[in-house]
Formats: sequence, structure tokens, C-alpha cells
Amino acid sequence: MAQTVLQLIIGGLAMGFIYALVSIEYTIIWNASGLLNFSHERLILLGAYLFGAQFVVRNGISNPIAVVLMLICTFFIGVLISYVLMRPLRNLPLVFSVTGTIMLGRIITEGVRLIWGNNPIPLVGWLEGTIKAGELVINRTYIIIIIVAAVLVAALQIFLNKTKVGTAMRCVSQNKKAAAFMGIDVDRSSAITMGISAVICGIIGILIIPLFQLKGDMTGMIGIKGFAAGVVGGFGYIPGGIVGGILIGVLESLSTLVVPGIYKDIVSFILLIVFLLVRPSGILGHKA
Amino acid sequence: MSDKYKKILMVLIPLMIAIAMPLIVTDNYFRGIFIMTLIYIIVVLGLNFITGLTGQMNLGTAGIFAMGSYTTALLSTKLGISPWLTIIGSIIMGLIIGVGLGYPSLRVQGVYLALTTIGFGEIVRILISNFKFTNGIMGIRDIPAFTIGSFSFDDKLARYYLYLVFVVIMGVVAYRITNSKWGRLFKAIRDNYEAVQAVGVDIAKPKVLAFTLAAIYGCVAGSLYAVHMEFITPSVYTFDLSTTFIVMMMLGGIGSVPGCILGAVVCTILPELLRDFGNWYWIIFSILVLLVILFRPNGIISFLKTRKKSVKEGVK
Repeated sequence: MAQTVLQLIIGGLAMGFIYALVSIEYTIIWNASGLLNFSHERLILLGAYLFGAQFVVRNGISNPIAVVLMLICTFFIGVLISYVLMRPLRNLPLVFSVTGTIMLGRIITEGVRLIWGNNPIPLVGWLEGTIKAGELVINRTYIIIIIVAAVLVAALQIFLNKTKVGTAMRCVSQNKKAAAFMGIDVDRSSAITMGISAVICGIIGILIIPLFQLKGDMTGMIGIKGFAAGVVGGFGYIPGGIVGGILIGVLESLSTLVVPGIYKDIVSFILLIVFLLVRPSGILGHKA
Repeated sequence: MSDKYKKILMVLIPLMIAIAMPLIVTDNYFRGIFIMTLIYIIVVLGLNFITGLTGQMNLGTAGIFAMGSYTTALLSTKLGISPWLTIIGSIIMGLIIGVGLGYPSLRVQGVYLALTTIGFGEIVRILISNFKFTNGIMGIRDIPAFTIGSFSFDDKLARYYLYLVFVVIMGVVAYRITNSKWGRLFKAIRDNYEAVQAVGVDIAKPKVLAFTLAAIYGCVAGSLYAVHMEFITPSVYTFDLSTTFIVMMMLGGIGSVPGCILGAVVCTILPELLRDFGNWYWIIFSILVLLVILFRPNGIISFLKTRKKSVKEGVK
């Protein structure tokens, strides 16, 4: 029993870190431009396909170089999206900006389908395997996800707080007009934010390949659950998203002990609605 | 006088086309598409109240649609109630959802509301695909057709005209509400809710009202869909369906009843006409919609309005 619980907690932690990364990735865009990026799921898909389907399978590039190439590509795709789409959408009412990003998501999905086809693409040996610790058998993917996510979160904090570009990004998220007066190029800063967000999406994409395979619907409900994570922890606040994501991941995983596994997906949505109604500022109580 | 004449023509010509269409195109498959168009028109007209007029993003329309479908399907197959009466059942269901979703909407705004409605839609989808009494992912079969005496509307042509009657009634109601005191209040809340509050108008009630109208329209359309398909499964009612409804409204013309009708027609029939493009169809269509959102936020209906008229409307 204790072993099952421990395994569930580790699996839940790994998914929780994925949700945490998702919530960070859209929170930095939300802070920088006030837009909620509903196409983030598709950016995750795009990153996974660029890495797996294009670089590894088609071009036969070795894994580490393929990862680097994918990260560079997604960064520039993010910058392009920022200049072409996010900048005009910023000045439109919410209904339009939400629909705009949803349509962007559909365009990416269709593009992926046209370029790499409908069928799942097998990617043998990528991050697979198990680790044995005494009686405990752990999926190697989970461990890698937890380590990569933790490193990424730390690196992002250092980037935002210690570098000039990061400080400019935080300044833009606090007050656009003041940032512009201080000589910060708001458009450029937003573009870099979007690029970083796309890079995080790409990393999430390659991390979830072993869990869900490389196929058109691999992202499943990760995007929406990432939104739930943000709300549970505190919307628009990066530490909140991390706490919310881990909480949702672990609770979701542990819920299979109490209710049938098919109801697992409902946990995050119930948490989402309960928190919006009872405590909209989230667990950490940060005022957005 | 000529203005009024023009207005009558604007209503009569589309109605004539709608009546003539299934007689010109006798293919049964296309008649099915026309029926789907009518169903979607009703959903989009409902969505227009809450998202188009009141400006509250609703991304859970698929959930509302599903509740209507399953109300009719369960009542008519398990309890043997006439499909006509199940429509009343689904109106009641709409009222329940409207009040249930509307009151939370008083507490949350903007993106938060969009997220709440996504949550609602997903919860409904997961529950209907797992509950035993909804038969899980297998769905519900053999939903009976509408009948009057011994005449049954199981023929596509007869059903089309029956549904057209529904659309005309609900369209007229939607048009009247849009141009009434309620409609103006909805628009005022969208444009500046602080100003509405400042002049002493309660914004809570109209929001719930708009939600309830949207839910009733969505549920009735769901009922009509269930009866039309005779067989429903949970796999239809996805988040993608909710966004499709939003796209229909945006493409046609947000906030305008003729625009919503036009959008639903274009979004349902165009895919069939563009079948030749094959795989390229969806990507072309998505880019077109994106361009419309960016450069023509009022949708394709705004191409039809003359400049003079739009100025006049602004003065009104």
C-alpha cells in the first residue's frame, strides 16, 4: 500500500511539474501583454513534432543537437507570433484576443498535420526506461521531468531577476507606459517573452513524448489543466502556478485511490471552479 | 419608407432561399447539412446574448449543448416521453444551467469566466462519458423523431421545415430582445459596466438573464440535434465544438442577429463546398478567420452594411 502511494505521488509530482511549467509559460505572456495564450497546447505539440518528427526521424540528427535546434526554432517562432499576431491582438477586447489565439492554435495543428501526417510517429528509446530503488520501480521519465522542470524554474528566476533583459520584462509586466518612458522597447521585450514562452512549450513537448507518444492529440488536457494550476495557486503569479500545478498533479494522481481512474481528469476542473468561486486569489493569496 | 421596404426584403430574401434550398438540392446528405446549419444557428443566436452582447466570454457552449441533447435523449428513450415535451424539459435544464452558471459569473470576470466555462464544459463531457445511465462513451441510440398524430418528421425534408420554423421563431425572439431594453442594457454592460453601475442600474440581473437565454437556446438546439441524429455520443461535445460556435459568431458578425445567422451558415456549408481542397481546407479557413478578427472585428456582415447606414447607427 505504502509503495503504491509513493509511486502515485512520484507520478503525480512529475505531472504536477508539467502543469507548473505550463502555468509559467502562459503566465509570463499574461503578465507581459495581458493576453491569455489559448494556443499554448499547440505550441507544445509543435515543439514535440519539430524535435521528434523533423530533426530526429526525418533528418536523423542525434538527440542532444536536435533538442538545441528545436529550442532555437521555437524561440524564433515565438518572436514571429508576437510581432505578427500578439501585437495587434493586444489592443482588441478580450473576446477577440481569446478567439485570435484559439485560431492560431488551429492553424498550428493543421500545419503539423499537413507536414508530418496523421499517424503517430514512434520514437524509440527517448527518455524511456525504469529506475529501481529497492522495492520501488519508478518510470525514468518522471525523474527526468522533475529534474528538468526544477532546473528550468530556477534558471527562469535567475534570468528574470539578475539579467538586464529579464528585469526589463518584469518592468513591462508591471507598467507598460512607465517602461516605455524608461527607454525599454516594449514590443521587443514582449517578443522575447513570447519567445521564451515558446521555448518552455517546446521543452514540455519533448518531456511528454514518452508519456503520451508523438501524435496529434498528445497534449490532451495539459493546456486547460495548466490554466487550472494557475488559478489554484494564484493567477498571474509564477510561484502560485508552480504550487498550484504540483498540488493538482499530486491530488489527481492520489484521487485514483478513492474514485475510479476515469474520474481523474475531473479533479482539476472541480478545483478550478471551487477556487474561482471561493478564493479567486489562489492558495498563495497573491493579488493579481 | 424605402428603408422599411429594404428591411422587409432583407428578411424575406434569405427566408425564401432557406425555403427553396432543400428543394433545389435534393441530395439527402446535403439536406442533413442544412439541418445541422439550422441547429447551429440556434446555438450561435444564444451565444450572441452572452458573448456578443454582454461581452462575457463563454467557452462552455458544448457543455450546454450536451445537457440539452442528453435531456431529450434520456427522457425520450428511458421514460418514453414525447420528444415535443422533452423540449420543455430542456428549456427547464437551460434555466437551471443559466442560473447555475450565471451567478458565478457575477463573481468572476473576463478570463476567469472563460476558464470557469471551460471547466463546466469539460466536467459535463467527462461525466456523460463515464456515467452508467448515460451509457458512457457508447452513447444513446434510437431517439424517437417528432410526430404529429400519425405523421412523423423522420423524413429529412419534413424535418428541415420543422426546424426552420424553430429557427424563425427563435430568430425573431432573439432579434426583438437584441433591440429591446434588455438588449441595450446587455450592450451597455459590455461597453462600460462601471458607467452602468454608476447610473444606478443593477448589473447582476441582466448578466444572469443573458446567461440563461444562452443556456436555453443552447439546450433547445441540443434537443433538436439529438432528435435529428437519433444517436448521440459524448465525443461530439468537445472544447473544439465550443470554439467552433465562437468562430461562427465572430466570422458572421458579433452582436448582430443577421451576422450570427450568416456566420453559422458560412461555417457549416463552406467546408462542404471546399472539399476539393482536401487537407488544405482547415488551414485556409483558419487563416481567413484570423484575418477577419484582426481587420474586420465586426465580421462579414459589416461588408454588407453601407457606410451611410453605419454612421446612422452610430448616431442612434
